[in-house]
Formats: sequence, C-alpha cells, structure tokens
Amino acid sequence: MARDPKHDILFEPIDIGPKTMKNRFYQIPHCNGFGSEKPLNQAHFRAMKAEGGYAAVCTEYCSIHPESDDTHRVSARLWDDDDIKNLGLMCDMLHEHGALAAAELWYGGPHAPCMETRCVPRAPSQIPSDFEHLTYPKEMDKDDIREVQGFYVEAAKRAREAGFDIVYVYGSHSYLPQQFLTPYYNRRKDEYGGSFENRARFWRETIEQVREAVGDDCAIAVRMSTDMFMGEAGTQLERDCLPFVELVDEIVDVWDINVSGISEWGEDATPSRFYESGRMLPWQKAVKGVSKKPVLGVGRFTSPDLMVEAINDGALDIIATCRPSISDPFLPKKIDEGRLDDIRECIGCNICISRWEIGGPPVICTQNATAGEEYRRGWHPEKFEKASNADNDVLVVGAGPAGMECARVLGERGMRRVHLVEGQDDMGGIMRWIPQFPGLGEWGRVVNYRKIQIDKLKNVEFIPNTRLDAEGVKNYGAEIVIVATGGYWATDGLNGCTHDTIPGADASQAWCATPEQIMVEGKAVGDKVLIVDNDGYFTGVSVAEKLAEEGKQVTLMTHLGHIAPYMHFTLEAPNMHRKLHKLKVEIVTYQIPTEMTEGKVTSAHVYDEEHLTEWGVDSVVLVTQRRSNEALYRELKDSVGIDALESEGITGFYRIGDCVAPRLVADCIFDGHRLAREIDSENPDVPLPFKRERHVIEREAVLA
Amino acid sequence: MLGDEVEFTDDERDVDPDYLDFALNEWDTYATEEALRLVEAAGSGEVVVVSVGDEDAEDAMRRCLAMGADRGIRVEAEGRLDPIQVARALAEVVQSESADLVFAGVQSSDSVQAATGGALAGLLDMPSVAVVTKIELGDGKATVNRELEGGLVDVVEVDTPAVLTIQTGINEPRYATLRAIKQAEEKEIEVRPVGDLDEPASRVRKMFVPPKGEGAEMLNGGAAEVAQRIQEIVQEKLA
Amino acid sequence: MSVLIVAEHLRGQVRPITLELVSAAKELGEKTAVAVIAKDPASIADQVDVEGVNEIVSVKVEQEEFENDVYLQAVEQLISDRSPDVILVGFTVNGMGYAPALAAKLGIGFASDVFALRRDGDDLVAERSFYGSKVNAEIDFPGHDRVLLMIRPTSWQPAEGDGATVEAELEADISGSRARHADFQEVASGGDVDITAADFLLSVGRGVGEKENLGQFEGLADKMGATLSVSRPLVDQGWMPNSRQVGQSGKTVKPKVYLALGISGAVQHLAGMKTSGTIIAVNTDPEAAIFNVAHYGAVADLFEIAEELEKLY
Repeated sequence: MARDPKHDILFEPIDIGPKTMKNRFYQIPHCNGFGSEKPLNQAHFRAMKAEGGYAAVCTEYCSIHPESDDTHRVSARLWDDDDIKNLGLMCDMLHEHGALAAAELWYGGPHAPCMETRCVPRAPSQIPSDFEHLTYPKEMDKDDIREVQGFYVEAAKRAREAGFDIVYVYGSHSYLPQQFLTPYYNRRKDEYGGSFENRARFWRETIEQVREAVGDDCAIAVRMSTDMFMGEAGTQLERDCLPFVELVDEIVDVWDINVSGISEWGEDATPSRFYESGRMLPWQKAVKGVSKKPVLGVGRFTSPDLMVEAINDGALDIIATCRPSISDPFLPKKIDEGRLDDIRECIGCNICISRWEIGGPPVICTQNATAGEEYRRGWHPEKFEKASNADNDVLVVGAGPAGMECARVLGERGMRRVHLVEGQDDMGGIMRWIPQFPGLGEWGRVVNYRKIQIDKLKNVEFIPNTRLDAEGVKNYGAEIVIVATGGYWATDGLNGCTHDTIPGADASQAWCATPEQIMVEGKAVGDKVLIVDNDGYFTGVSVAEKLAEEGKQVTLMTHLGHIAPYMHFTLEAPNMHRKLHKLKVEIVTYQIPTEMTEGKVTSAHVYDEEHLTEWGVDSVVLVTQRRSNEALYRELKDSVGIDALESEGITGFYRIGDCVAPRLVADCIFDGHRLAREIDSENPDVPLPFKRERHVIEREAVLA
Repeated sequence: MLGDEVEFTDDERDVDPDYLDFALNEWDTYATEEALRLVEAAGSGEVVVVSVGDEDAEDAMRRCLAMGADRGIRVEAEGRLDPIQVARALAEVVQSESADLVFAGVQSSDSVQAATGGALAGLLDMPSVAVVTKIELGDGKATVNRELEGGLVDVVEVDTPAVLTIQTGINEPRYATLRAIKQAEEKEIEVRPVGDLDEPASRVRKMFVPPKGEGAEMLNGGAAEVAQRIQEIVQEKLA
Repeated sequence: MSVLIVAEHLRGQVRPITLELVSAAKELGEKTAVAVIAKDPASIADQVDVEGVNEIVSVKVEQEEFENDVYLQAVEQLISDRSPDVILVGFTVNGMGYAPALAAKLGIGFASDVFALRRDGDDLVAERSFYGSKVNAEIDFPGHDRVLLMIRPTSWQPAEGDGATVEAELEADISGSRARHADFQEVASGGDVDITAADFLLSVGRGVGEKENLGQFEGLADKMGATLSVSRPLVDQGWMPNSRQVGQSGKTVKPKVYLALGISGAVQHLAGMKTSGTIIAVNTDPEAAIFNVAHYGAVADLFEIAEELEKLY
C-alpha cells in the first residue's frame, strides 16, 4: 500500500538548529517508569518508537541534579558519568534507526520532594508546592541562581556526551524556569522578580548559558506552558508567553508548546472524556505567529488528516505525540505505508499516566499490551513468532477485550484456526457499553481496532450470536480452549469495605440496579437515585453523570474519603468534580449502607457505626464490586473435568480476563495477549519469568 | 476477491492470480443454509454442492460441507469462463443429480454476472425464479418471494423441480464448528471432467484499473440551486 | 443492424430503466424498437414513445405482471421474428429472471451489468467491472452476430421527448408459465434501524459540529425519506449508537443513494460506502477525500444546503 499524497508533508525533513529530523514525527518527553536506572528497559522502549518511524525521541523529564528528585515518581537522571553510560545506550539505539535523541533537562524545585536524596530543592520564593504540599523550597539568592544555572550547563554537557542531539531547558508543568516566569511562584523583589523582563531573566540566562555550552552540537529546545489558566497569578499567553518567545526566539532552536501548570496538567494531557484531539492548537498557533523557529506540540493526535491540517493551518511544524506513541509506536510507519486502519489509536484513558502519578510502576497501555514489555518480555508490537504448536485449532469463548486480543495475537502467531465465539451480536464485551457513558466514546477504539485486525486475519473467524454451554465447548472440536467470559457487577451489594453483602440489596428488584442493567438492558431508574460506589474508579461517577444529565436527582455515596480516587491518577478528577458539581450531584463520603429496601437506604459512618443516616430514594444503583463470570469455566473444570476434556482432544484449557479476576481493561487485554504470546510455552497458564533489571551482587566478593 | 493492489497478466486480459484471494461467495452461504434448512425440515434428503473450477475452488466448497452439505462435485475447469460456459459445465452434473431444487446465489461478489443460475435454468429448460428471499415448499411446486428493487415483494408460485437464485438475508447462515470443519475435510468431493463448453458468450479484450478521480460531477451555484439539483438526483436514482 | 429493447414495467408504470435503455441504444445509432409485453400494452406503449425509439412492438399476453416464462417465450419469439443484432434488457431482478436463460438457450453473445457500449467497426464492445468493481474491462463477442446485454441501471440518463414511432404488434404463443405471479407484498418497516437495508442514506459526519445539531439532520432525513447514518467520530462522541455507523468498524452499506453531509471521507469510512449506487457529497473542503468516490459533489456549507433541502420536501 502506498502513502496518501495528502500526508506527504508529514514526511518532509526539517532542520532544528544544527540537526535535521527526517520527518515531522516527534515523541515528546514522557515518563515510562524506567529512568536512568533501568537503562535496558529505557533504551528498548524508546528505540521501538524510532523503529516505528519517529524522527526524534525524548527521555522523560531528566533530573540535572540530586536536588531535583521526584521519588517515588521515576525520572531520568544525568548526575554523573554512570548516568551518561546508561542513557547513552538509548541514544545509540535511537541513532541506529536514524532518529534524534532528546534529553528534557529538568529541575523541579519544590514539586520534587527529594525523598531519596534528602536534598532541599531551591525555588524563586519560599512557598510550599501546590503539588507536593509538604515540600518547602529554599528561597534562592543570587549565588543559588548561579549555582542552579550551572547545574543546567553541566547536565547539558553530560547529555551531549551521552549522545543526545537535542537538550531542553524545560519549564512547562510549573518547573523551575517557569516558576520564575510566573507570579504565582515568584514573589521576588529583586531583578529576578516583578516585571516581565525580571521574571523572564532566569530562564533567558539559563538558555543562553546552555546554548553557549553545547549549542554548536545540540539543538536547544524550550518547553513552555503558554497559559496556566490561573488568571493573572499564572503564566498568561499575551502577558508572559508570547513576549518570552519573542525575547529568546533567536537562541532557541525549537519550541515545545503546551498549556497548564502541574496541579491540573490534565489540561495538557487531555483525557478523551473531556477533550478532543488537538486541544492546544490555538495556543500552539499563537506561538507560531510570533516565532521564526519550528514549533512542536502534542494534542493526542491519532489522525494523519488532523496532523496535516495542523501543519497546513500554521499551528505546528512538527507533530509531537506522547500517548499515541505508547499505544502505537509504529504510527508514523503506518501512515507512511498507507495502512491507516492498522493504527492502534490512543483512547485517551490516561492509564499510562496513572502509573507515573501513582509513582514507581512501569508504564502500561490499554490499547498496547506490549508497552513497557519491549525489553523485559521481548515483545514487539508488530512482530509475532509463529507458535511451535501452531498446528492446533483454538476456541476462544467470549469476544470482550481479553478474548479479542487473545484471538488476534493467536491469529498473528499462525495458529491453524482460531474461532472467537461470542454470545452477543458483536465483539466488544464490556467495551460495548462502557463507551456509551458520557464522554467515553473514544474508548470504543479498543473494539474498533481489534474488529478490523481480526477481520483481516484469515485464520481467525468471529462467530457471533452463539452462546456455548459446557457440552458445546467440549464438542466444539478445538484442541485449545480459552474461556474469556468476563465479569459482572455484584447484584447483592458485596463490597470491599464490609466484605459482606448489603442486607436488602437485590438487583432483581425494580428499585435496585447494577451498571450493566442500566447500560445494556436499559433498566429504568426513578427520579431520586442513590449510587453506592465502593469501586474507586470511573463507573460510579459515569453512572452519576449519565443519570444526572437525564434529569435525575443523584446522590453518590462512597465509603472512601474521596469519590473515584483513581481518577486523580488519570488526571480526570478536577474536571469530573466540576461536572458533577454543575450537575448538582450530591457527593457523600465515609458512608456505607447498612441496609436497603424499596424507598429507603440506611447508612453508617465508616468511623462511627452508631451514626446512622436514612436516605429516601426511588432507586439504588449498586457499584459496590465486580464478580467473575466463572460458571462456564467451573462447569468445564469441575463437572466435565479435565480428563473428559482431554479425551475430546483438548490439550490446553485456560481462562483469561475478568472471568479470572475483574481488573482494568488494560490488564484484561494484557492477559489475553500474554497467553497468546506464551501459548507454546511448557505451561502457558504460568507467565514466563520476565527479565528483571536489577543489581545482582556476588556475595562472596562483596564480603571479602 | 481482489485486495487493494492489482497487477494484470501479460496479455492484460485478467488479473495476475497472485493478487487474488479465494473465499466462499457470500450469496452461496445463504443458499447453502437455505438448502440445509429445507432438508432438515423435510426430515430427509441431501444437500450437494457443485462448483466449476480448479483445486482452489475446493476450499470454498469445504465451507459448505462444514455447514452440513453432504457431498461435493467439482467440475474441473481452468481459466476464465463466462457465466454461460459455467452453466454448461454445470448442466450435465445437475441433470445427472436429478435434484428437486437447484440453488445458486443471485450473483458472485467478484464478477457480479448474476447469470449462472438463470443460464443453467435455460439450458435445462427448468422453471426458475431469481432473487428469492423466502421459500415454502409444496407438492410439485413452491411458493417463493421474489424481492424487487425498492423492497417490494412479488409472491410467485413456481413448479418444481426449479432453479432458484437466492438473495442474501434470506436466513441467518449457521457457523461451522471446528469439529464440522475438520469433518468436512473427510467428506467426498468428486471431480468430474468438463464437457463441451462451446464458444464463450463474451471475451475480455482488455482489463484495466478504472481511471481514478474522474471525480465527482460538481454541482455549482448557490445553496438553493444545489439543493434543487440534489433533490432531482435523489428522485431519479431512487426510482 | 437493429436494436431490440425489452420494456420493463410494474403495476402499469414503465420503469425508468426502460428509458435508460433507449439512451444506451442511441450509442449504437441503429434502428431501435421497444417491445412491450403486457396485458394492456397500449397504456405502456404511450410511456415509451420517446426520442430515439423508431418502433414500438406490442405483445399482448394474459398475465398482468411480469412472469419469467412469459418473457422468456415472448422475447425468443420477438428475436426470431425481427432478427435484432442487439437485445438490451435491464440488469434488474426481472431481467435476471429470464435474460441469462434466454441467452444460454439461444447460444448468443451475452454480458451483464454493462455500463458502457460502442461499435468498433462491426464489433460490439461493452464495458463492465470485475473483482468487486476494482477493475474494469472491455469485452466483445467474437463469433456472435447477435448479443444480449443487460444494462446497469442509472448508467444512462432516461430518454425523453417524442418519438416518431411506428407501431407494430406481435402475436406471441405463450404455452404456459411455470413461475406465476400470485401477489404483491409491501415491505414492513420498523424495529431496529438496519442501515444496510436502506435504499437511501443521509449520512453526517464531523461537519455537524455539535450534538444539538443532529436533530436538524434527523428531521431532514425523515422528510427526504432517508435513513440517518453517521461516520465514526459521531459514534466516538457517543452521539449515535454504533448500529448507525458506516465504515470499516461499523457497517458496509450499498444504498441506491448515499448523501454525505459534512463527511471528509476517511479511508475507513469510504471502505464502508464507496460501492453505493450514487454518492452525493457536500463538504466545505474542496480537497475532501469523499469527492474522489462521489458521483456528485458540492463545495458548500452543509447547514445551508440542509436548510434549502428542507424547503423542498
């Protein structure tokens, strides 16, 4: 297939400073949990994007000094020669694929609590961080300023030595240089505070010094937030950003432009729930209006048409991606080859970001089960080895996320025949109704992608409208059987708080419903609704939003101190709260129902069981916990028995996804993917050990 | 079936077979399903699937066998045949089988000739109805629905044995389990030589990729004129 | 050299394909006769008396409506009586009923779904597609002095005007009809919307802008007698269910008319509708990919066009 000539512009090279990008695709700095201390994971993760066609690939935020330590969150580090060695591997591997390597030099100030190094961060003014509330900075005097600027210079030199082609002086997300620029962080009265020129001075001087040190060899990038949406206290486009661009344009080689500060950086890394792709284009265009240098930026771009429009419209010169590069490192190649329907589009769920926010875990992706597994499991998103037991027929029961992914990968691995059998009339399982929630339409891409891919695989057949019972499975004629029957929301109020059911809770009653009953069966709900949410992620708030939009009076009750705490990690919390507030949803915390009956729910305070409250309601929605749809598996294993299955020729019998244990969609897809990748291992049930990047000692040598 | 890339044979009269993919014609799944249902409802009988072609045709036939057809007969023939030649190749077999009903798909998705079934009926001088969406068997005859353009249904009484060309959507074709597919591999496909095909009814002079983007006929003028023109076109094309 | 056209009619009305066949015949510039096989040929004959028709041959039969064997016998006798070189029949359900059978029985030249034809010296050359419309081919009929062509509807404009026609009659000997018309049934509508069953789809895309604007297009579709379908972005937004989606991960449709308003024509969308009978596209972007597959296009604002269309219906 050939590239659509309309997309040619995306493949035109472009110069940035002394370097040239071979096309317009740029993986913007983003976290992966690997840093400098898991260099093999890091290098393989980044190199996959270069292999996929990205012309430039960046590190995550890269600390320039032990004073900038974000533990428990994982940043890269360029503190010493060993870091140079470690990150150098990433540079080498990127260069092998013809991509440029970029280091986002970072000093966090008080946002980085230094929990590992126990240093004290410095900042323009002594105000505790609005992100890490317990961390106070040392207020910088002129010596501090010179010293910290020196940190940037030394780090830039290390970056150059490691092989980086581009070095950043990174301020976006309210990090140090932007803190100087922003009144909210900078209350200084000296020449580094007050007027625009003064507030700009630190950043300008730092760029000048870094440029002087490495500017001949490396391109100088500046990442700036154009507007923090905090009114006059924050950075503002017209007052601060555009004048700054004009001020330093000559000494900057490429602008990396976004919006927002750190405490609401979901305005930058926009969840699809609230924003469409290209949300920041107006600001990016404004910068391009005053700059003579190339401008790049993200916008959760997945559509090549939108990318071309952004360039033709004069908003961007270079299309940067973060999340779409995680869901599909081969996005550029697929556009180049005209294989647009093979693009595995980002769904904007921000599960990847949630891992960084939690701090510590490696990146994962709902759409791409191989994200983060490039090194430790050796998984390549586009390459599949033929299974050594390919001469087998496989039955996958259930075409939800786990089943679809498993069937897809088994197909790619050349299994003789794969039948994906589903009781409903179409693929998708739980992902058929979740995207029906307000704002979650893009999550349906999980199904779209797999539908198209499975349709293309000649050895995979999708069979809808067929509900197999145990006999049907046994007699189906497959050698390998994989049960992927999913899960359901508990109908009896079983929950993780009391570890018991809720007396009176019964979703077979007209006044009591589960999310599925409402979304799939269309079960009617009265005007006054109480939602019991012990889940902690999006289902409770999405039901609340949906019902409130339909005009119901909604009370959302949780035993936790916050509603939907996981949505803090996905950056959806602030806007979700705004939305619920606007919809007049009553939020009740620290309450757990003690009993319910038609028309009335009684709840107790979690820390004071005597303190009871009564709620008069028309309907109750139980979002207490999920259960596995185990019945088919149990019947096959316990009633029919493994021996009976074996005598029918079934040599492999497995189950995957929610029917094992309910979990994130990302983990269900991972589960299906892993089983398929390891279907020919000795015991596919048990995941093969993955490579652990760690320091292993020689015990005797150490003690000697 | 042709994908998005194509190259032609040296004489430019056909597509290079390397670029072709073979699959069971969609209409034939419906025809097979209908045949299976009628035999099942009758309690006895046989569904025989017949095809004209080389070995590549057997994969598709095995799909019909996997659905439940009892046996297959392939008339060995190579190269491009026009639908009347195909009908001639089928005629002898069909006659020898003395079927009560002969089904063909309305058309094939690749050539869209929509002629094989009709031509067969003509050669065998059998009654026929085209584009059938419902069949009710009677005694010596059948009542069938014929689906006209625009959706109007013509109810027709046809004497049997008859040739019926079957339209998609007449039923929900069943899926074959892996067991059935495996068993189909053991079922018999008899190969018979092709008889006299006579002169082709047509010949391809030249095959080519249609010129791209002759483009749309652009409707110019103000919104009112464009809307008027759209209304006219819609009326014309729906007639 | 002469052309015989077999008129197609339903419930007393001539079907437009018949008049299109007259236009097709004009390409050959030969004497053209239209045969009307009906219980009351006179009323049909009036409707086919257009420019390009030299003669109308009436064949009176007992049957009210189309029956296979009636046309099979009548047309065979017409051919025997009048010796036309070219016989034109519509590539329609009726045509499929008898034309291939007749061509096979008589051993004459034959081609179906033809959308272009011409004379090359003495040769008749026709054009049709193969391989799911991905390639076209020119075909001819060596060794055949007589050819029956089934013509794809809407390939030619219907002929109009007045013909200076001669009237003739043929007495046909119809010895029985083995597939007999019993009744007509209107198609019941209702139930879940199945966009693949619709003859006329009005499809909207991102150009619609806000969810609130959908109502306007739903209303317009109703007025125009179309079924509303959408491209994927609207399903992504949650404005419409997936059952209304045209495209690779939605449904593939082949309606007679596909009116696309504010759809740019992403590859995945085109895959779902590009074989539609007639595609009319309205988009403000002259470079929109949809114009590559559309038969008619207008670079215009879909709201303005919608407003004007509303006035007409």
